[in-house]
Amino acid sequence: MSENIGRIARSSGRRTQMSDAQRKRRKAVQIITGAALIAVIIVMAFVANQTNPKGAYIVIIGTLLGYALQRSRFCFTAALRDPFLTGGTNLTKAMIITFALYSFLLMAINITKFGISLDSVDFSKAAGYIRPVGFHTALGAFLFGIGAVIAGGCASGTFMRMGEGFLQQWVVVIFFIIGSMIGGVAAPIVQFKSAPVVFLPQLFGGWALAAFVQFSLLLILYIVADIWGRKKAGGR
Amino acid sequence: MSEEKINANKQKVDYWKILFKNEWSYVTGAVVIVVLATALVIVTGKSWGVTGILHLWGGKFLELIGVNADTWSIYNGALGKFNFWKSIPSITNVGIVLGALLSALLAASFKIKKIKSYKQVIAAILGGILMGVGARMAMGCNIGALFSGLSSFSLHGWVFFLFIFIGAMVESSMLKKWFM
Repeated sequence: MSENIGRIARSSGRRTQMSDAQRKRRKAVQIITGAALIAVIIVMAFVANQTNPKGAYIVIIGTLLGYALQRSRFCFTAALRDPFLTGGTNLTKAMIITFALYSFLLMAINITKFGISLDSVDFSKAAGYIRPVGFHTALGAFLFGIGAVIAGGCASGTFMRMGEGFLQQWVVVIFFIIGSMIGGVAAPIVQFKSAPVVFLPQLFGGWALAAFVQFSLLLILYIVADIWGRKKAGGR
Repeated sequence: MSEEKINANKQKVDYWKILFKNEWSYVTGAVVIVVLATALVIVTGKSWGVTGILHLWGGKFLELIGVNADTWSIYNGALGKFNFWKSIPSITNVGIVLGALLSALLAASFKIKKIKSYKQVIAAILGGILMGVGARMAMGCNIGALFSGLSSFSLHGWVFFLFIFIGAMVESSMLKKWFM
């Protein structure tokens, strides 16, 4: 739909020969700049490798993450916000798919690492983040959700939009950093020492039941999102 | 062969459009993101995070302008140990900026989007600070706590999911009232 509108706008703007040539030049300049940027990224990968033997890989993976986020317009904030703002849940469903796929892969990695038994699981060495849960999680996530909707992008989205050319996100990141520093002072107040680490496989006495619960919940959420999307936005 | 058919055969395939211009579906994006995140785990042993190091960037900036922040309780010597090339989230964050820029450039769709009103500045300040404070409290952001945390079978990821959702819901309804 929007693509059609864009096409009409483009063809109507093609009245003069000049603007068409300009457009072609603009396209060429951008693509050449892009090619030059690839060279910059490769140099960066080499520089990273001077200090960190894994540096080059991390540079490449980070860049590809940015590329993938931009190309698919993937935005966690929109995934959480759009069901209420527009009624659309396609991105919400895609987000749930990332959780399901990544859960499966992290489970596979952790089982390979520690074995199927939970006796030797070491949270600090586990793939992923297994952290204390409590009041701080709820309050922090709530504030983060409000902030992400106001700023029009979450953590990954902010960096992605900085690259896309949104000047607003360059302001966001400055205050995100300042907020992180303020949070460094404020966070210990709500992070109680008694907050437990709850690892679902331990809670449910094994990987099998934990996986059943995890994937069932994700499936239910996916179906709910699908129904919500059909009702609110005609399946969008 | 009819003339129409010959013309159709002659039509050039625009590989640039296929490779760089066409947008990916959300599901394609989802799969690629998970593959890359898994690659990061395999290479580094650590899952993707974004916000855990942002306060260190702030502290490094303070050091640059002559403020010795390393003795502050929130750093406690962490700034001295900080090395950009050894800080995985620091590299991936800059990588995300460069990757998104690259994607926009190769698609010839890069455009600087200026700040249009003071409202956007206030939104940026308020939203940025709330996200920063929230991520520190919850020990992670939408990536570290939600994407990586929930997928690690850690309850804190699920609680984060529930409450970021409530936060987004509350704020969306407010946005609707104010701007629509």
